[in-house]
Amino acid sequence: MLEIGSLIDGKYKILSEIGHGGMSVVYMAINERANKTWAVKEVRKDGVLDFEAVKQGLVAETDILKKLSHPNLPSIVDVIDTDESFIIIMDYIEGNSLNRALSEYGAQPQEYVIEWAKQLCDVLGYLHSRNPAIIYRDMKPANIMLKPDGNVTLIDFGTAREYKEKNLADTTCLGTVGYAAPEQFGGMGQTDARTDIYCLGATLYHLVTGCNPSEPPYEIKPIRQINPELSSGLERIIEKCVQRNPDDRYQSAAELMYALDHYEEIDDKFKKKQKRKFASFVAVMSAAVIFGASGFVFDYAATKKASATYSSKIKEAESTSDFDKKLQIYEECIAIPEQAGHKNAYLGLIQTYKDNDSVFSVEEASQLEKLITNNRQELQKSSADYTEICFETGKLFWYYYDYGGDNQLTRATNSIRWFEEVINNAPENYENIGMAEVYANVGTFYRDIKTDVTEASDKGKYKPVFDNFKELIESVAMDKSESEIVRLELLELARSAIQQYATKFKGDGVSRAEIDDMIQHIETITKGIVINDSDTVIKEKQDNILANISDTRVSVDTSYGTN
Amino acid sequence: MNYIVAASTDIGNTKNTNQDSYGVRVYTTIAGKIVFAVLCDGVGGLDKGEVASGTVVNAFCRWSENRLPKLCEEGITDDMIRVEWANLIDEYNEKIKVYGKRSGVKLGTTITAMLITDKRYYIINVGDTRAYEITDNVRVLTKDQTVVEREVDAGNLTREEAKNDARRSVLLQCIGASDSIYPDMFFGETRSDAVYMLCSDGFRHEITDDEMFAYMRPEVMLSSESMKSNMDNLIDINKQRMERDNITVLTVRTFE
Repeated sequence: MLEIGSLIDGKYKILSEIGHGGMSVVYMAINERANKTWAVKEVRKDGVLDFEAVKQGLVAETDILKKLSHPNLPSIVDVIDTDESFIIIMDYIEGNSLNRALSEYGAQPQEYVIEWAKQLCDVLGYLHSRNPAIIYRDMKPANIMLKPDGNVTLIDFGTAREYKEKNLADTTCLGTVGYAAPEQFGGMGQTDARTDIYCLGATLYHLVTGCNPSEPPYEIKPIRQINPELSSGLERIIEKCVQRNPDDRYQSAAELMYALDHYEEIDDKFKKKQKRKFASFVAVMSAAVIFGASGFVFDYAATKKASATYSSKIKEAESTSDFDKKLQIYEECIAIPEQAGHKNAYLGLIQTYKDNDSVFSVEEASQLEKLITNNRQELQKSSADYTEICFETGKLFWYYYDYGGDNQLTRATNSIRWFEEVINNAPENYENIGMAEVYANVGTFYRDIKTDVTEASDKGKYKPVFDNFKELIESVAMDKSESEIVRLELLELARSAIQQYATKFKGDGVSRAEIDDMIQHIETITKGIVINDSDTVIKEKQDNILANISDTRVSVDTSYGTN
Repeated sequence: MNYIVAASTDIGNTKNTNQDSYGVRVYTTIAGKIVFAVLCDGVGGLDKGEVASGTVVNAFCRWSENRLPKLCEEGITDDMIRVEWANLIDEYNEKIKVYGKRSGVKLGTTITAMLITDKRYYIINVGDTRAYEITDNVRVLTKDQTVVEREVDAGNLTREEAKNDARRSVLLQCIGASDSIYPDMFFGETRSDAVYMLCSDGFRHEITDDEMFAYMRPEVMLSSESMKSNMDNLIDINKQRMERDNITVLTVRTFE
């Protein structure tokens, strides 16, 4: 132990003890002649099992550290080797450790944490670029000093690196090994720069959430699960830092630094703005043909990044259970530059509209129509994808569109143009082309029939629509993999058509047997659909059809009976 | 319920100190006979692990001497045991941390403590020491608080991989080295003609459940002497198989 008031090396007067390390004590000292304070770190012989080995390590280590010069590192100015101990003189860092800030104030403000992260990243980049590279291996809040000017300094550099390696023969405890990256336990490859990236990620997690990843539940969750106010950009950065496999992390401090500098840009809120910016960028690029070559390179990089973002967002949307959030994410996907031509986000939207409340509202309809119309050119690049989207949209209108009053007709007529798009754009051998034609025909029938009746040109239109219904019932209503809503809607449409147009069907040559057969079919299929009692809306639809079947029969009787 | 107890410990093949500690007491109380057993495996990068394990074993044994008579009068409940033991662990976590800071060493300990009454057993567990119940089969009553156990739970490792994983000795927490301790508690019905066993991880890495059953099933654990010699045999097998850690095992045989 150094005595308070004693003079070391004739220069440094020990003022007070300021901390303990595992095998060392740190004192504050003053060089009275220069009137400057220093930190004096003493590694005591009696605190260490094999002092000679430790000392050799320390000498080697301090020799390297003496050559370091970085604003976020304390400088080592002197090393004194005495009989009792090994003493390192270094910058005295005013301030408190971030560990202390955490225990006193809990989670730290996000903007500060990001600023510190950049400084730490800078230090790591500096250390990793030494020759040979220096791996810090022990990044944790306790080793980061927050100075009064708001900057941070990485401390605890004096201990020999060898002693940061974990001795695996012994039992160790997570709390004492800091945020060890998986590979630091050995058996998973060497520790390298990416080990420091992991520990920095864990440190940022602890700082920004206040949750220590080395305490129960011992996991690093997405930070917004702990505090939804936090940036999704920062969330992604931390997640990437702490991947188990070093190959999945940022590969260098520089890469991480880039992400930190742009964290707002991978933030959800930023995405929408970005789309507009990108549009103007493209406009400028196409005008400036002269920059074509460099433009291509930039564009390529952007596309690659965008497509990665796209697929990760689609996954995010799929795993979200909140419908509004889902819709929002899918829209954002479509807004990612160059990604508007992929079908997944549109199909996701369509599925979400259905799943939500089984109602495709007028607002939702205009939203979807707008998205598809605006991006039609992009979408049409793949006729298969475009066709699929149109077919699904048509069905969405047909079965779910919610436009006031008697909407079965509104639905059918609104879906026509989508099925026509399918017919016009379908690639060869498109499997649903027949169905699209049937839907389009029935829709057109409903749309035109009123006018036709007025103009008395309706004769001959009923038989085809009857046949179309027959086909729809066989291929859709009997398909048990279709949703109950779709099947019931279709059955009801057919039933009401029979009730309304029985006379017309007869006039167009539909036989009594055919029509009775269809009613029988409708009834049997409807009864056969098993519905959970809790699905009251669907149950009601089913009951409705069954309740009206006898009226429908009466109507047919009336039409055909008065022959 | 009646009890026979036995214990055995060995420094093992490679270590300079035995950092395991244990204590076991049989009390006759107004609520019948009660066994209190505790086993700690010291953890230390330096050679002070036995300080932590010894301190905690002593603290728990003292607790059993001082508090058990009173608790028996009031009637023992799960919550009562939970609160008393968790407080004790918190207290010693702080004490050991302060000691470590003052003397510049890092040290800590696991704990498995077990109270066995006529009807019910109570276990507290921190780290990778374990409690077993051996009847017509071998059953682990505790759950290791280790990195590999967590990885197995998370589906990142299989049981087999975990046995040889480099991290198998890394604890999630231990008394004296973690900021806060979150002990696990286990409760259950005491069975007659059973063997309750506490052991350090050194005892169980190299031997199989079948071997445990062969040497420690109730039928072959009939007197304190035979129990001790059976346990010593298992310790020898462990050492022959090059176990490097300290080895400690403690058993309680129940009978009506």
